[in-house]
Amino acid sequence: MVKIRTVDLTKRFGEVVAVDHVSLEIQHGEFFTLLGPSGCGKTTFLRCIAGLELPDEGKVYFDDQEVTEVPPHKRDTGMVFQNYALWPHMNVFDNIAYGLKIRGYKKEEIRKRVMEVLKLVKLEGMENRTPHQLSGGQQQRVALARAIVINPKVLLFDEPLSNLDAKLRIEMRAELKRLQRELGITTLYVTHDQEEAMSISDRIAVMNQGRVMQIGTPQEIYKHPKNEFVARFIGQGTFLYGEVVAKDGERLKVRLEAIEKEVLAVPSHPEANPDVGDRVLVMVRPESFELAPETRDSNEFEVEVYHVSFLGNSLRVQARAGDAPFVIEVDPDEEVPVGKSIKVYASPELTLAIRL
Amino acid sequence: MGSRAEGLEERLKRSLRRLKWEMDPFSWSQLFIVLAAFAAFMLIPLGMVIVRSFYTSGGFTLDSLKLVLTDDYYFPLRVHLTSDFPFISMEGVRGSLYHVVEYTRPTGEVVKIIYITGWDFGVLVNSLVVATSTAILSTVLGFTLAFIFAKYKFPGAEALRIISLIPLLSTPFVGAIGLKRMIVSDGVLNVLFHDILRVIPFKVEITGLPAVIMVQTLIFYPIVMLNAYTALISLDPSLEEQAINMGASGFRLFRTITLPLATPGVEAGALLVFILALEDLGTPIVFKGTVAEKVLTFQIFNRIFTPAGLISQEATTLALILLVISAVVFVAVRRYVSLRRYAMLGKGGIWRPRRRRLSNKTVVLVYVFVFAVLFFATLPHIGVTLLAFSKEWGTTILPESYTLNNFKAVLADEQARRSIVNSLVYSGIATVFMVILGVSAAYLVSRKKGVPGIEALDLLVTLPIAVPGIAVATGLFLTYLGTPLSPTISGAPLLIASYTVRKIPFTVRSVFSGLEQTDKALDEVAWTVGASRTRTFFTIILPLIALNVLAGGMLSFIYSMSEVSTGIVVGDANHRDAPMTWKMYDMLFHGLAGGLAQPAAMGFMLMGLQFVFIVGANLLLRKRATALIGV
Ligand SMILES: Nc1ncnc2c1ncn2[C@@H]1O[C@H](COP(=O)(O)OP(=O)(O)OP(=O)(O)O)[C@@H](O)[C@H]1O
Ligand SMILES: [Mg+2]
Repeated sequence: MVKIRTVDLTKRFGEVVAVDHVSLEIQHGEFFTLLGPSGCGKTTFLRCIAGLELPDEGKVYFDDQEVTEVPPHKRDTGMVFQNYALWPHMNVFDNIAYGLKIRGYKKEEIRKRVMEVLKLVKLEGMENRTPHQLSGGQQQRVALARAIVINPKVLLFDEPLSNLDAKLRIEMRAELKRLQRELGITTLYVTHDQEEAMSISDRIAVMNQGRVMQIGTPQEIYKHPKNEFVARFIGQGTFLYGEVVAKDGERLKVRLEAIEKEVLAVPSHPEANPDVGDRVLVMVRPESFELAPETRDSNEFEVEVYHVSFLGNSLRVQARAGDAPFVIEVDPDEEVPVGKSIKVYASPELTLAIRL
Repeated sequence: MGSRAEGLEERLKRSLRRLKWEMDPFSWSQLFIVLAAFAAFMLIPLGMVIVRSFYTSGGFTLDSLKLVLTDDYYFPLRVHLTSDFPFISMEGVRGSLYHVVEYTRPTGEVVKIIYITGWDFGVLVNSLVVATSTAILSTVLGFTLAFIFAKYKFPGAEALRIISLIPLLSTPFVGAIGLKRMIVSDGVLNVLFHDILRVIPFKVEITGLPAVIMVQTLIFYPIVMLNAYTALISLDPSLEEQAINMGASGFRLFRTITLPLATPGVEAGALLVFILALEDLGTPIVFKGTVAEKVLTFQIFNRIFTPAGLISQEATTLALILLVISAVVFVAVRRYVSLRRYAMLGKGGIWRPRRRRLSNKTVVLVYVFVFAVLFFATLPHIGVTLLAFSKEWGTTILPESYTLNNFKAVLADEQARRSIVNSLVYSGIATVFMVILGVSAAYLVSRKKGVPGIEALDLLVTLPIAVPGIAVATGLFLTYLGTPLSPTISGAPLLIASYTVRKIPFTVRSVFSGLEQTDKALDEVAWTVGASRTRTFFTIILPLIALNVLAGGMLSFIYSMSEVSTGIVVGDANHRDAPMTWKMYDMLFHGLAGGLAQPAAMGFMLMGLQFVFIVGANLLLRKRATALIGV
């Protein structure tokens, strides 16, 4: 178990800056996820940690030891690739045992350990199959077993679930999390699926174009996005641009652009506290709205409903106020008439202002 | 200025850091052995060719070059400007395209023979004429066939396409022996068309440069065909459909869409054929005694090693000229893609192109054309086979009777027996070297793409296909005569070395394609679980590409067996250690019987081996390609 730390890590491919001065810390035993759109540099960052890429600038530390130029086989990491990368010329047992053989374990010990880990990933009895006799999910487990059997200091995952079908993906997600908790290995996980990241991670780093946009727990980045990118990338919301016209401690008064209206809001993230005169993005999460029976003095919107969809535990209402689209989630028992106007309310505490 | 120098230093530092990161001691040793082998047996020898063309014991001189360029034997052409149309006249061309001889048979029948001998432009231009003509004819033939097979659907097309690749299974030297028997005045063609079918009122005998061109075209056209076929079937069918929708049709479609898209591949193939024709020594040797021997390769071969153990500077200069021509052609186009493809003997792409069905009338035309080509293309091989098994073969279309005596005679000849053993041993040892060096080179090129300058290594190990063998042979003699590696002491070292550097592209390409088909993540995951790169190389990479190594090794082995240039030159210097190709040459001209049957028997053995190995290698690779799917 180690702490991973990077300082100004930068990797370029020709003109492309795949990883751009990334500094972050992953704690002992933490499940840390890199989340971001395709091509934002997640894999490249992961590969720098594994030692598969040589960074152009910056440093990588495992605990206090610098490993930036240490070759991969001396880093003691276990990695699971997106396409599993099982060796087709070896059966399941040999695939898993390979790392142990290299470490010079005795035959008996190897057998014992492989069997243990096969049980852990629920593949007992499959040890003599060859990789192409396995289903996608089973191959995935073999790749996982191969990575954890050597008891690595760090576990690295590059979109390990993206090749599985939706149902299996959710099952494996829970299992991965269970295993990681049991083993307590520091884990760096890469995905572009925000739901996956939210459900599995202790902390998430949201990346865009090689840079880290925000680091935080799933709750933090959902409830307190630091910038427009994170706000829009994570979850759904209603977004309105405006200007701060007054400020009273934590309370902001924002004049909106699309609607003739002033609303009360709070700064979304303490580090991005806007001042009077700043242009801001006001965001309200769908579930932060409520249908407004009595008239309030502020933060009430009259919107025209154009679509309602039933999601089981909620109703999703798509509506418009002027040109501004609203996404609202309300109790599934509510009656919301399509084509009519309704009034909705978002309390100032849940109306977030993000400095632009 | 200062910041610029700093930038350079920065860059250098970064390159060094990269190098340190990518290369471990094992990779360094791989790189070292490849470079050392190429330096010792290719680069330094070729350098010697250049140096010795200009330096004698008396210092720097251009005499030899001057001699070659002014001597009537090498360059007799003189061009004058005139006042009349076409304002230019040329002197020095000897001979004529053909001449006619008539004689009366004892039966009273008058027979007319047309001897197609071709002109003689002097050694230098002859070589260019041969190479150019072969390249053009191969392109026309190869492209037409490829077009037919790629675009039209007709019964038996696939089988015919594979048959039309048969010439790839042979070399010009062996093919020439077979074809020679076919095209002389009482050869099979004349007997068939003149004596039996009586469709032609005269006999035709082809010798000289036209014969060389004919042999080379019939052996080399499949190279262009492969390139063109691959290009044509990998054309996006929707491109052509779009053009058709926009109203293009027939010839216009061909000229504006199909041809331009296929051109790069065809061009590259044509250039490769040009170089192969230029460096071919086997065919001129078979047609020795005619103008065919007035080409660069043969002249070098004839002069390279004097009985006194000296190498004439004339030969060196000719080798230099040959080298320069190939280099210019190679560099001018820089499309060594086709070299790679040739070295792979690939069978084309994977798309299922849309093929048009033909009307019955056109099908007949297509068949006539394809069968005519295949008839001529298989003649050399049929000729060798028939000769090898013939007892007596006079003026009949087929031998009068068959026998194994030719093979028995070969095996009874002690020198022939030894030459077979020599060839097998040298090629075997060379194959071991080629596998070690070739796997190393392919691994570096495929897996160390980050190392600055690694493309140069790729070029270096692919290049030998475009370097004339006789130039390498000359260089090896210049460099090693009088050293412990001298061919006069033992033929083995230079032959093994020459086979190794000249035929290594076949191993490299096969292994390289295996590596490219093997996901790099398979190596990387081994590193992450703790395997060093060396260990990964041996336990993960090698087992995964074993079939490619085997197939590549087989190709390299068989092309070593049929290597002509170095083999004959070294064999001439040291008969005891001579390989099969030298013995065939020796039998052709110094054999007691003097006939073609015994050399043909040896040629048949070579051809048979070649057939088995090449088909085997391709089957191996195909099996592997499917075995990997689904993992
Ligand atoms: N070996 C390489 N050579 C050149 N460019 C590369 C290389 N690897 C990555 N890149 C570029 O670097 C950028 C980041 O790539 P990276 O694979 O890290 O993205 P990613 O976030 O993992 O994307 P995805 O979600 O699609 O896997 C991209 O623009 C990519 O094109
Ligand atoms: Mg990725």
